[in-house]
Amino acid sequence: MKLLRAEFLNFRMLRDLELTFSSKPDRKLTVIRAANESGKTTILHGLQWAFYGDPALPGKGEGFRLHPIDWKAGEGNRVEITVTVDFELTSYRRASGQMREARQRYRLVRSTSEELDSRSRRSGSTVKLYKLNDSGASSFGAPEAFVNDELPPELREVFFTDGDRALSFIEANAAVSDKRQRVQRAIRSLLGLGVIDDAIKHVHKSAMEVNKKAKQVGGDGELNAIATDLDDMEDKREELEAQLEDANQQFRAFDESVNKIDRKIDAALQKGDKEKLRKAINDTKENIKQLDTQLEAANKEHSELFGSRSIATDLLAPVFADAFERLGELHEQGKIPSTTIPVLHECLDAEVCVCGEALRAGDPGSDKRRAHIHKLIDDNRRADEIQEIITELYYGAKELQGEGDTGSSAWLNEYTKVVERHDDLQELRERTGREFRKLEKDLESLPDTDIQGLRETRRQYKARRDSYLSKKSVAETRLERLRKDQDEMEAQRDRFLREQKKGTRILAESQVTQDVKKVLQRAYERITHEELQKVSELMNNIFLEMIGADPDQGAIIQRTEISSEFDIIVYGPNGRTLNPDRDLNGASRRALTLAFILALTKVSEVEAPNVIDTPLGMTSGFVKRSILRSAVRESAQLILFLTHDEIAGCEEIIDENAGVVFTLTNPAHYPKMLVNDPGVVERKVLRCTCDHHKDCQLCQRRFDMETDLDVAS
Amino acid sequence: MMADRYFNPFQAIDINIPTEFHEEFTRYCQRSANAIIDQSPFQRMVDLWFLSVCVAARQGLEPADIAKYDTRKIIDGSIFGSDPWRVHALMLIAISKSGDVQIVSEPRKMISLANGLAVAGLPKVIDMLKDGDAEPIWNLSDAIDVMLRKRDVA
Repeated sequence: MKLLRAEFLNFRMLRDLELTFSSKPDRKLTVIRAANESGKTTILHGLQWAFYGDPALPGKGEGFRLHPIDWKAGEGNRVEITVTVDFELTSYRRASGQMREARQRYRLVRSTSEELDSRSRRSGSTVKLYKLNDSGASSFGAPEAFVNDELPPELREVFFTDGDRALSFIEANAAVSDKRQRVQRAIRSLLGLGVIDDAIKHVHKSAMEVNKKAKQVGGDGELNAIATDLDDMEDKREELEAQLEDANQQFRAFDESVNKIDRKIDAALQKGDKEKLRKAINDTKENIKQLDTQLEAANKEHSELFGSRSIATDLLAPVFADAFERLGELHEQGKIPSTTIPVLHECLDAEVCVCGEALRAGDPGSDKRRAHIHKLIDDNRRADEIQEIITELYYGAKELQGEGDTGSSAWLNEYTKVVERHDDLQELRERTGREFRKLEKDLESLPDTDIQGLRETRRQYKARRDSYLSKKSVAETRLERLRKDQDEMEAQRDRFLREQKKGTRILAESQVTQDVKKVLQRAYERITHEELQKVSELMNNIFLEMIGADPDQGAIIQRTEISSEFDIIVYGPNGRTLNPDRDLNGASRRALTLAFILALTKVSEVEAPNVIDTPLGMTSGFVKRSILRSAVRESAQLILFLTHDEIAGCEEIIDENAGVVFTLTNPAHYPKMLVNDPGVVERKVLRCTCDHHKDCQLCQRRFDMETDLDVAS
Repeated sequence: MMADRYFNPFQAIDINIPTEFHEEFTRYCQRSANAIIDQSPFQRMVDLWFLSVCVAARQGLEPADIAKYDTRKIIDGSIFGSDPWRVHALMLIAISKSGDVQIVSEPRKMISLANGLAVAGLPKVIDMLKDGDAEPIWNLSDAIDVMLRKRDVA
């Protein structure tokens, strides 16, 4: 999807505003220059409201006014609010053996009204979708479903991004579970995993239908009893899944409460003479976190040793030696004919034959000899398949032989290093743990009643959190047990079905549902894993390029990844994890979230716009320009709201890539920030055609004029 | 052809192990990112299977007769595509154990031989994981350490 045009009527301070967007493939950037308080966030809300309705508004629209705040009674007691968005979809279809590209334009119109009584009531919005053509527009049904297909609502924050809010993917203030959920939700939606989820549920239902049939065939016998048990198990499974979900939610809620109290304790400690203790506690906590991550990495390294090449080459050294001896004999006997090919290739490369004759390319005398050697290569290629495999094995597996031949064990060396690293870290972790417990005791003995009260509340929240964690573990274990029992029962039921005359057909149905279930579950796991990898790698590449970090040149930020638990992790030297809040500057944090958003959009292969508000805030110089360049490159259509400060230094990139640039002005900024009186009484955003180089009577800002005067003087 | 470094002759072959070992595979292999590595040292099932092959070959064990067992698929042959060195290793084991280089053109025979070795080696590896006072990862590491330091191979 590409956005073409948007029109806002009475949407907060957008009383009457039309925006146009560039959709050219070679000029995919649209820049909307706007100072603070010039309607940038309102436009983002307006666009999202047009596509998704009230749920896309802050607080899901509850108590969120849409009409202009300065609407006067004289203008009527009922305000009609409308947002119109024109967009284009590109479709591809096969025609006469070739792919044909077709573009179609659509118009989405969402409208509502608000009554200006004391409660500012809003009626439910109406949305209509029109297909545009040369002769006019024809409307068609289910616009919500259409929009959900083209711009999945779960990816709303990816397509419509507020530069500051996007930081919630990594910000430390959010609970870990919250950040994970945001990232997970975006990725799951991107992969369309909801479809597989639904399919798995459907197969579950089919399996239950099959079971009912088995019950009918079973009469009063054992088959009936088993099928009845399976029915009960299914009910139990649903009950346990609901319990697990509830425990998960409660755990997350109490985890967030613990985090909040921690922040309050932190703030209380900042007062008076407790700052030193606060700092010591925070530093120790951070150290423990770092050490735990490093210990986990060391454990992973240890575990990798059991799948390493060195363990195989060391253990198999005698076996490999025997095999290589046999291959060596063949080689000596000249029974590995394919060796000729590399030799012949070497001759051609060196331009000298084994006999010493010249094989210069382009030389008439050599050409005949070169042709002969090419023929020999072709003949050898047609040699026996076995000989080819053996030849490749003989040369290709040399490294396996080499490693086992040295007498010393590569695996033992690696293992020794892993053990040393692990033991050092473990010792350090224990020492730091002791320090932390001592600091906790110091905190306990503080006479400050506020802090003690908070600590008591924290203890209570933590106890509740831990109790839900325990419930979660119990539900998980019982579910696993139940699933295992279900599998066994199903196998038993199928055995009975096999013995029944009428059972064959039901058995076949049962087999099909079980197979489909397995296939779907495997597909689910595989897609999650592989696509997550792709997003993770692309995010890393975009991010490192944006911040200009070269890991080979000893940059502080070495790499970043999305873990399988959906955490965005940044690594520094020696595999140390960096805390995005403390160890990354504002520019890098912004670059990281933008890299995540762009990688997600790109991997999804959904052609969709990225509308980003103030993406370059807190950035400057190389990083600012690099973020802009990367964003233009990775996005299918990029619409940026930029302040004058954000544009400064990036004019050249905008010149190269922007198809549309215009300026928005808030007349209320006169006289403090605007030079000229716009002559507008209402509070409403105005548009002028000034690009990033120009100013006009409407948009000229006071700061700009003072600068000009300075230069002139 | 083999010259392609990603060529995997075992692509289409499933690896089945006796059902009685299935629980050990789920117990000692990491099945999720939250697995406890100390308790489940193997990142993938293929790592436990391959180590069992190596241990059996190292100790000169005879391949077990898989036909005697009720089996269950645990590994898809396509996994060897991600570790091309294992393809070479399996070929070399097959040549050494069968004494016949011609075996390299018969992927099923090679896998069958390796799987026989794996089934023979599995009880040994499970003992290595269990024997000792520490967690399985350390018990196994110690046992391999001892095995590699011992020069007198069967």
